[in-house]
Amino acid sequence: MNAVLRFDSIVTRFGRNLVHDGVTFTIERGEVAALIGGSGTGKSVLLKEAIGLLRPTAGRVELLGQDVGSADEAQLNMLRRRFGMLFQDGALFSSLSVAENIAVPFREHTHTPESLIAPLVGFKLSLVGLAPEVGDRMPAQLSGGMRKRVALARALALEPEILFLDEPTSGLDPIGARAFDRLIRTLADSLGLTVLLVTHDLDTLLSIIDRAIALADGKVIADGPVAAVAASDNPWLKDYFAARAPQGARDGT
Amino acid sequence: MDPPGSSPIHLSSEAGADVLYLQGSWRLDHAPAIAAAVAALPLRPGRTCMLDGSRLQELDTTTGFVLFHHLDELGFAANAIATRRMDEHHARLLSLVHERMRCAPVPAPLSSPSAVQRVGRATLRMVRDLAAHNGFVGQTALELLALLKRPQLFRLREMVAQFENATIDAIPIVALVTFLIGVVFAYLLGVQAQRYGATIFVVDGVGLAVCRELSPILVAVIVAGRSGAAFTAQIGSMKVQEEIDAISTLGLSPIQVLVIPRLVALAAGLPMLVFVGDLAGIAGGMLISTAQLGISIPSFVNRLHGTLDLSAVVIGLAKAPVFAVFIAMIACRMGMSVSRDARSVGDHTTSTVVQSIVWVIVLDAVFAIVLQILDV
Repeated sequence: MNAVLRFDSIVTRFGRNLVHDGVTFTIERGEVAALIGGSGTGKSVLLKEAIGLLRPTAGRVELLGQDVGSADEAQLNMLRRRFGMLFQDGALFSSLSVAENIAVPFREHTHTPESLIAPLVGFKLSLVGLAPEVGDRMPAQLSGGMRKRVALARALALEPEILFLDEPTSGLDPIGARAFDRLIRTLADSLGLTVLLVTHDLDTLLSIIDRAIALADGKVIADGPVAAVAASDNPWLKDYFAARAPQGARDGT
Repeated sequence: MDPPGSSPIHLSSEAGADVLYLQGSWRLDHAPAIAAAVAALPLRPGRTCMLDGSRLQELDTTTGFVLFHHLDELGFAANAIATRRMDEHHARLLSLVHERMRCAPVPAPLSSPSAVQRVGRATLRMVRDLAAHNGFVGQTALELLALLKRPQLFRLREMVAQFENATIDAIPIVALVTFLIGVVFAYLLGVQAQRYGATIFVVDGVGLAVCRELSPILVAVIVAGRSGAAFTAQIGSMKVQEEIDAISTLGLSPIQVLVIPRLVALAAGLPMLVFVGDLAGIAGGMLISTAQLGISIPSFVNRLHGTLDLSAVVIGLAKAPVFAVFIAMIACRMGMSVSRDARSVGDHTTSTVVQSIVWVIVLDAVFAIVLQILDV
């Protein structure tokens, strides 16, 4: 196994507010891992530190063998081509059509000929389970679930090795959320992707996640297979998993 | 990286089948080269096509798609393509690509409309806009009537806030612009009048032009750009944030809460701004008259008093509320009709300013003709 993402004693402080106080863990290639924790425990912050949008106060983040903290802009740009990020609300460019949104990474970062881009965009749409006709629509005309799928197609355009997802199922109805979960798992398995996602959604956790990492009080309080984390004695984790106790065992991994 | 000198694909014929050896790194970066190599292969549809993965190091969906897309275009049936000696992971990826591209017809290229189509669409949009404006004016009129019955519902605080924004804060810019126009107008008029020794008529000209035409038009244009744009942007972002729906849900009327205060504020404020413009424009004219034409301030004021008809000033002031109603109604309607994305707010704001300025000029022409017929 080789590590694609390594957090080493991360400390993050916003003013007086200590968010992370020595967070250390490693994600191996091919893992589908989830960060869980209450509101304000710095899950999204950790995600942003992994991709270089934020800098930790102390500690070291290593993504695909590169120290993110000491990377210069050129190195970061090389790195940016190797991961994909799905933002919470999709963050589609509202002035471009769906097809143009997906074509942006191809046009900006590759020499793909124009004659190939149109069929490729159609294929990427179908890869995330959308009809190619959706390509002509504007982002404002899409439902929440479709926006997420289009954003996923855009994040997958450059064939990333690692995919970051910030609350992928928030704002989706339960059926749409489960379908999106299955899509992520299918793609992760078929494309050999490493996935790190932040989620509050227990169903996501119980259905597609190999490994859960729980944050509380600035530290990792539990790390391991979902079933093991669910069996933890920590009061917050107990409450969290108890919310689903009646059917919890149904499809636990 | 590609091993030097080796092609990403190699074709050989074995036992009645075309065998394609995929070689080296099939990554997105090499997609153009792979597409070219694949296109150059002398493939014959009808025979079985065997994909051999024994020399393949890396594979991703884009390059896989490039291969299948080409085979598909040549007319290979799905069951005429087989794989062998594939790494398990590569095989899974290829089968996903193959399965998903089956249902992916190429989206039709976006055709850009011809000039005639564009003109036609723009015309239709204008007609639709006009109809919608009418509907909105009707709705607002009904809400105003309802307000007359229950005046305690009038949002005085909101009206005062808007009045402050649209009127008080606009005084410096209005005064500056009309002052400068007074200066320019008096200067140009003075140059002509001096030739005939008729410099005193500059006073008549400046007074009449500023009060009756220049100040109302300029002030309306400034207000359309300032407050009209602001109204659309404010209401538009509220629409995007679903605040308008929240207002309706709380049992309030968005028109009473948002539109009527702005309408009243602008209708009350614009005449006052025109009056400020009148003063500043005449002051500008007076400056040039004294400095350039040798008309002393007392004689300027005397002449103005004698020649400037009160009716000219009143006509100028009377146009202002009409302009104000048009600007406010256009701005609020465009704000209300914003759709749920960021670009729409910008588009509608621009449209408000353009429509308002056009309407101000059209109305001014209508005023000129009607007043001419009425002989005022």
